Amino acid sequence: MIDLLFALSIGILFGIGVFQLLRRDLIKAAIGFAILFSAINLFFMAVGAFEGDFAPYVSNVEAGRQTSDPLIQALILTAIVVSFGSFSLVLGFVNIISRRYGTVDSDDINKLKH
Amino acid sequence: MQQNYFLLGTLVTPLIGAIIALVFARSNRLQRSVGVLAGLIAWVFCTALLVQVHDSGVQTYALGNWQPPYGIVLVADTLGGLFAFMVTSIMIGGLLYTFHCHDQCMQYPAFVPLFLLMEVGLIGAMLTGDLFTLFVFMELMVLASVSLTAISDDQFGLEAALKYILISSMGTLFLLLGIGALYATFGTLNMAEIARTLLTGERPFLAPASAIMLLCAFLLKSAVFPFHFWQPDFHTTAPTPISAMLSSIVVKVGVYGILRLVTLLFIVEAPLLERWLSTLGIIGILFGSLGALRTYNAKRMLAYSTFAQIGFILVGIGWGQPLALIGAIVYAFNHAFIKSSLLMLMGVVASYTKTKTANFADIGGVGAKLPPMLGGLMLIGGLSLAGIPPLNGFISKLALIQGGVDRGDWVNLLIMVAAGILTVMYMVRAWQRIFQQKPLPSTVETKDKGDSLVAPFLLICVCLLLGTILAEPMVQLASETVRQLGDPLIYISAVNLPK
Repeated sequence: MIDLLFALSIGILFGIGVFQLLRRDLIKAAIGFAILFSAINLFFMAVGAFEGDFAPYVSNVEAGRQTSDPLIQALILTAIVVSFGSFSLVLGFVNIISRRYGTVDSDDINKLKH
Repeated sequence: MQQNYFLLGTLVTPLIGAIIALVFARSNRLQRSVGVLAGLIAWVFCTALLVQVHDSGVQTYALGNWQPPYGIVLVADTLGGLFAFMVTSIMIGGLLYTFHCHDQCMQYPAFVPLFLLMEVGLIGAMLTGDLFTLFVFMELMVLASVSLTAISDDQFGLEAALKYILISSMGTLFLLLGIGALYATFGTLNMAEIARTLLTGERPFLAPASAIMLLCAFLLKSAVFPFHFWQPDFHTTAPTPISAMLSSIVVKVGVYGILRLVTLLFIVEAPLLERWLSTLGIIGILFGSLGALRTYNAKRMLAYSTFAQIGFILVGIGWGQPLALIGAIVYAFNHAFIKSSLLMLMGVVASYTKTKTANFADIGGVGAKLPPMLGGLMLIGGLSLAGIPPLNGFISKLALIQGGVDRGDWVNLLIMVAAGILTVMYMVRAWQRIFQQKPLPSTVETKDKGDSLVAPFLLICVCLLLGTILAEPMVQLASETVRQLGDPLIYISAVNLPK
C-alpha cells in the first residue's frame, strides 16, 4: 500500500515539476526545478527506507533488530544540499535578470537569439 | 587495499588551492599565482599517477580507509588517468591565461576559486569509482562553470548561464534518477560491484532503463544532438579562459561517462547504445560543420566546431571495436589541446579590440595591427583542427579513420572526410578574414595591449609535440587503455570487493 502511495506521489510531483519547469515565467520554472528535486529525493527514500522497522542506530543494530538502509539517508542529505545550491543559484540568476531585463518572461529574454 | 596518495593528491590539491585563494581574496595577483601553483602541483601528481598506472596497473584509494563497497573509492585506470592528465594539463593553460587577462570579471575574488573548483569537479568525475560521487562532482563542475559564465564581461553571459543551468539541471535529475534506479536494483553504488553483477548476465527490471537515463545525462553534458542547443550560446559568452575549458575538457566528461557506460557497466546493451551513438555522432558532425561555416562570430564558429568534433569521437565509440576506440580516445585527447588553444587565440584577438568582440563583421582585417605571431599560431591551430599531416589533428583523424576502415562503415567514413574538408574551409576562411583581408569600414578600433599569448603558445607547442615525437607514446597509451577497457575484470578486480 505504502509502495503504491509513494509511486503515485512521486509521479504526481514529477508531473507538476516538469510542467512548472516548462512555464514561461522563470520564477515558476525555478520552483518547478525544486519540486522535481523533491520528487527524486522521495524516489530515493522509497527505494530503501522501508526495508526494516527501526532507525539505523548502532544500538538497534547491536540488539539485532531489522534496521532500515542508512545509506539512503546519507544520499538524500547530499542530494538536498546539491539541489539547494543549484536552486539558490537559479534564483540568484532570475533576480539579476529581472533587474537587467525588467521582466521574468522567458520569451522576452531572447537577446541571444540570432 | 593499497592506498595511492597521488590519486588523492590530484583531486585534493585544486580544492586546497581554491580555499587558499579565497583566503587571499584581497589580492588578485596573489590569487592567480595560487591558482597556477595549484594547477601545476595537481599536474605533477597526475603525471606521477599516470606513470604508476602505466607501470603497475589500476590504482585505488579508499577515502577515509572505509573499504569498498561501503566506502567511497577513487579508482584510476588508464582511461581515468589519461583523461585526468588531459584535464590537469589544459587547466594549467587556462590558469596561466588568467594571469595576463584584462577582462573585468577576473577582478572578482571568487573567480580563481571557482575555476579551481571546476577542476576539482572534472578530475573527481573522472577518477571516482562511485556513481553517487560522480553525480556530486559533475554538479560541482556545472555550478562552478555556470557561475563563471554568469559573471562574464559579455552582457549575454547571464542569459546563457540561466539557459544552461535549467537544461543541465534537467540532465542532472535524470542522472540522479538513473543512479537511484541502479541503487534500487543492485543495492550498491560502487561501479565495480554493479559491473560485477551485470557481467553475470543478470538483468534486473530497472537496469536497462537506468542505462538510457545515464546515457542521456552524459549526452547532455557533451552537447550532442538532440541536447545541443544551449552549447554555442554558453561557450561563446563565457570569459575566454572559461570558454576554452568548456569547449575542450568539460564536454569530455560526457565522453568519459559514455565510455565507462559501454565498456564497464552495460556491456551487453552496448551494441544497441553504440548504434544510437554513431547516428547521433553523424548528425553532430554534419550539423556542427555546417553551423560553423555559416555563423557570424569567430568564437561561435569554434563552439559549433566542438559539436562536430564530439561527433567524430562518438562515431568512434559507436563503431565499438578496439581500433575505433583507440581512435576515439586519441581524438578526444588531441581535440582538447587544439580547441582550447584556438579559443584562447580567438580571445586574444577579441581582447585587442575596444569592444572585445569576435564578430566577423567587426574583426575583419583587424589582424594587420596584431602581433604577427598570433596569425601564425592561429593558422597552425586551424590546420591542426582540420587534420593536416604534420600536426596532431592528423594523428587523431588517421587513428579514427583506421578504425572505420577496419569496421567497413564506408558511408559514415565518407561523411567524416567531407566534414574534414568543411573544417579546412571554415578555419582557413576565418583566418583569412581576420589576418589577410583589408580592414573593412565596419572594423572596430584596436588597442595597443591585449591578453598575453603565453598560454595559447604553450598549448600550440604541445599540439606540435603531440603531432610529432609524442604521437607514438600517445597512441600506445591509447591502445593500452583500450586493451584494459576490453576486459572489465581488470577494473573490477582492482577494487577490492568482498566475495
